[in-house]
Amino acid sequence: MSYELVAGLETHIELSTKTKIFCQCTTEFGGEPNTHCCPICIGMPGTLPKLNKKVVEYAVKAGIALNCNIRNISKMDRKNYVYPDLPKAYQISQFDKPICYDGYIKLSSGKNININRIHIEEDAGKLVHERGNTYIDYNRGGVPLIEIVTEPDFSSIDEVLEYLEKLRLIMKYIGVSDVKMQEGSLRCDVNISARKKGEEKLGTRTEIKNMNSLSFIAKAMEYEFERHVDILESGGEIEQETRRYDSELNITESMRGKEDAEDYRYFKEPDLVDIIVSDEEIIKLKSELPQLPDEKLQVFINEYGLPKDDAELLIKYKKIAEYFEEASKGIKNKKLASNYILGQVFRRMPTDSEKEECSISIPPEYLSELISLIENKKINSSMASNALEKMLDSGKPVREFISEKDMEGIDENTLREICMRAVSENKEAVESYLGGKEKAFSSLIGYIMKETKGKADPQKAAEIIKEIIMSS
Amino acid sequence: MITKEEVLKIAKLAKLSVNNDEIDMLIEDMSKIIEYADAINTVTEDEDTEVEFYNINNSSNAFNEDIVIDSYDRDEILKNREGGEKGYFVIRKRQRG
Amino acid sequence: MSKIKYIQKLLKDKEISCVELTKNYLNNIEKQNKTINAYVKVTGEEAIKTAIKVDEKISAGEDLMPLEGIPMSLKDNISTKDIETTCCSKMLKGYYPIYDATVWEILKNQNSVLLGKTNMDEFAMGSSCETSIFGTTLNPHNTDYVAGGSSGGAAASVAGNMAAFGLGSDTGGSIRQPASFCGIVGFKPTYGTVSRYGVVAYASSLDQVGPITDSVEDAAIVYDCLSLHDPKDSTSIGSRTGTCDKLNNSIKGLKIGIADEYFEGINEDIISSIEEAIKVYQDAGAEIVNFKMPKLKAFLPVYFIIACAEASSNLGRFDGIRYGYTTDSYNDVNDMICKNRSEGFGKEVQKRILLGTYALSSGYYDAYYKKAQNLRYSIIQDFKNIFKSCDVILTPSVPVTAFKKGEALTDPIATYMMDICTVPANIAGLPAISVPCGFDKNKMPIGMQIIGNSFDDYKVLNAAYQYEKQTKKSDKISPYPEVEI
Repeated sequence: MSYELVAGLETHIELSTKTKIFCQCTTEFGGEPNTHCCPICIGMPGTLPKLNKKVVEYAVKAGIALNCNIRNISKMDRKNYVYPDLPKAYQISQFDKPICYDGYIKLSSGKNININRIHIEEDAGKLVHERGNTYIDYNRGGVPLIEIVTEPDFSSIDEVLEYLEKLRLIMKYIGVSDVKMQEGSLRCDVNISARKKGEEKLGTRTEIKNMNSLSFIAKAMEYEFERHVDILESGGEIEQETRRYDSELNITESMRGKEDAEDYRYFKEPDLVDIIVSDEEIIKLKSELPQLPDEKLQVFINEYGLPKDDAELLIKYKKIAEYFEEASKGIKNKKLASNYILGQVFRRMPTDSEKEECSISIPPEYLSELISLIENKKINSSMASNALEKMLDSGKPVREFISEKDMEGIDENTLREICMRAVSENKEAVESYLGGKEKAFSSLIGYIMKETKGKADPQKAAEIIKEIIMSS
Repeated sequence: MITKEEVLKIAKLAKLSVNNDEIDMLIEDMSKIIEYADAINTVTEDEDTEVEFYNINNSSNAFNEDIVIDSYDRDEILKNREGGEKGYFVIRKRQRG
Repeated sequence: MSKIKYIQKLLKDKEISCVELTKNYLNNIEKQNKTINAYVKVTGEEAIKTAIKVDEKISAGEDLMPLEGIPMSLKDNISTKDIETTCCSKMLKGYYPIYDATVWEILKNQNSVLLGKTNMDEFAMGSSCETSIFGTTLNPHNTDYVAGGSSGGAAASVAGNMAAFGLGSDTGGSIRQPASFCGIVGFKPTYGTVSRYGVVAYASSLDQVGPITDSVEDAAIVYDCLSLHDPKDSTSIGSRTGTCDKLNNSIKGLKIGIADEYFEGINEDIISSIEEAIKVYQDAGAEIVNFKMPKLKAFLPVYFIIACAEASSNLGRFDGIRYGYTTDSYNDVNDMICKNRSEGFGKEVQKRILLGTYALSSGYYDAYYKKAQNLRYSIIQDFKNIFKSCDVILTPSVPVTAFKKGEALTDPIATYMMDICTVPANIAGLPAISVPCGFDKNKMPIGMQIIGNSFDDYKVLNAAYQYEKQTKKSDKISPYPEVEI
């Protein structure tokens, strides 16, 4: 009996607005406990919420980028439940009229993961449990979130990971969130179920919470799917419940059963008024969006002629992609720019966050210039590589390190002389090469590069050496 | 007539405890009031007044700008809890009064 | 004459200093509050400080703002920074707000002299102040009777000459009923014209703050000062026009709507008083228009369901974690929260929270809350239509006059029925005023209510003012002698 996995995702994304959703306290991360608070976000009696305009704009931008319909008139609702991190004992959220609906993300396989809804809501405070006491910090209370809910369209863990990578990248590109799982600006709950292969009906699902990295999501899903299959195979029934992933034991454990299912008693928030987003506004917000990752990827592959893997690496970091685009202006061989970035430049930025930052010491124009010289055959590739290292070290342009004289290169006669000397002084290498050892040939080239202090064009030198060898 | 189970379920949601001696009186009171409230089901609204949601004054788009205003001093925030503990609000572990 | 204007004239003419005036009021409070129990807190020091400031301004020959130097009271659900605000509940005993309600900020900026916080039903849920932890408030006309509620303290402070004006709040009649019981003026403005920011919420879509005064002109003066758009309150729009300059508009041809349904089950004395008032209007040239209000019997359930539902949610924040009452012993967090709430809230409040939770709960939401909202919408449309054929509506304020202390009806339905005349204005967000129009056979005051269309506050105040003028009711009717000035 073979089972297949079915999953849906609920992702919470913290929006990177400067202020909270219903008051003007800062959303800055960190800070001493309860120092980013005011009567509104700690729910003092008599206070009233007021909606941050940027939150609506960012939510609409996210919806547009995810191919959603945008609701022209929406409202906020109260979701009532009691928990110490929720100051008002209700969360202001959106229930039945979310601001965005019916979108999708297309996976590399061509399959669409359908997005049911995106809605706006406020975050709760943070609880710390110590020595039996509960400590509460409300700094995070009121930070704006969007919740993105997919249909149960995932059929593998890989699809989930790809979706999350794509989602994160899109959110970073449009600049509405820094989507860092470790910092909590991206949180993901997975709804997972199992069913017999070919079965149409969905199995009973369970919800998994508390996975704060992609690898934990993968591990948790693996464990939970196995757990479902084990139960089903032995004839049992899955209990619909919420489970917590324990990363140390690599298991999921039950959080609350069905009898404790909360009744949120949703009703329209009477302290807020309607949110009206006109079609003109939606068009304006759409025009403010940058080119999205998938589109950029296609341009890099189809127009710039980059191989898929290289293009994917470049678009992975928005600032790198933009750097590459700038550097590619005015040069024909864009792959060369890509190679230098993915090679020498990347070596200087070993971590992901450094690549995100894209703090390259030279502006893209300097790289452009370097490549132009190669294209115009003024310098060869090894000269260029050396120069680039020096440029990256100093932040200075290529002409600081390569003079006009250097660019003259080696004239053909001098080169011929040096090649003949290479052949005559490296008889063993020549023999080796003729005997079929290709490696020996490179030592000849190495000799020539050394003699010419790197100025020789290795391809030309190779031609000449072969000529000499053939003719002798 | 509202049942005892329903009252207890509602009390749980509302985080109120209902004593055994109070519950019968409460059931009676609440049932009377709920029965009275049922009067709304005898009145039919007019055809054209089904509306998804509305604001009393039809107002919309009341927004804050995304500009930071200084937060309150922590001392003020914790004022009604005598300064809290190390800057936190604290719920101490179980107390025996 | 407007008491506020009269006091300001005395101050400007230097016939009395603000400090002396304030001391006179404080003395009167000292004499009477033990019996009447209008005030739960007297802010003597703060009052004198403000009075000194006002006297300095007068000495310097500066002009006074409309409410400057006027001794007044605030209902104890209005947040006053660093002054205890209890909503007359054990839950908030010892609670000190860290910010000011907008309405108080406006008055503070005008150097109005705050004499103290007034008594109310706990969390504004009631009509007699009998659910207050400080005990009930008695009626200055006859202390065998109650002052009403939930703004009973505010009404008694004005009627008992212990304040020149007071602010109350009105969710289902809480300004108009006590004003009616105490024989003074109480005005509930159009929803959204006065800021709710800082007023402890009972039912968010029904609550409004309004003035309780001796005369209509005073109510207009206070309203004009308070009816500003407040950016902190998303539902706040503010008034579109001043009202003081329109009090003397002619009411010739004013169309006054009367509906029979409002007079069903009303005390005889009250009906005859209202009929006399109608005559006064007709003599002044107003026209009476009859209309039907067939859904009237549904109004109370609609009001009650929406009020309890919103209240059950608004009061959820009282868990004892950041402020408020805390119990001594508990087993865990959940137990603590339940005990804090069950011990901190009174029985009536707990009952309404339970009813509201029920009305919103899964399985009942459609039958109660959703249905109530749909009906509410249709009631709003009904009123829009009614106001096409009349300018204002005239009704009794309350079906009864003040009842005796302890005689508050034990039948919950009968108690809630007392709000039948007042709730329509809350449901539809309309401006409504209660104006004294007579006495019953026990010499207890009767109130008449004038309701207007949304944002027609000026029309309501104008109609009420003209009635006062016609009947010379602008003369003081407080049973106590004038404060020694």
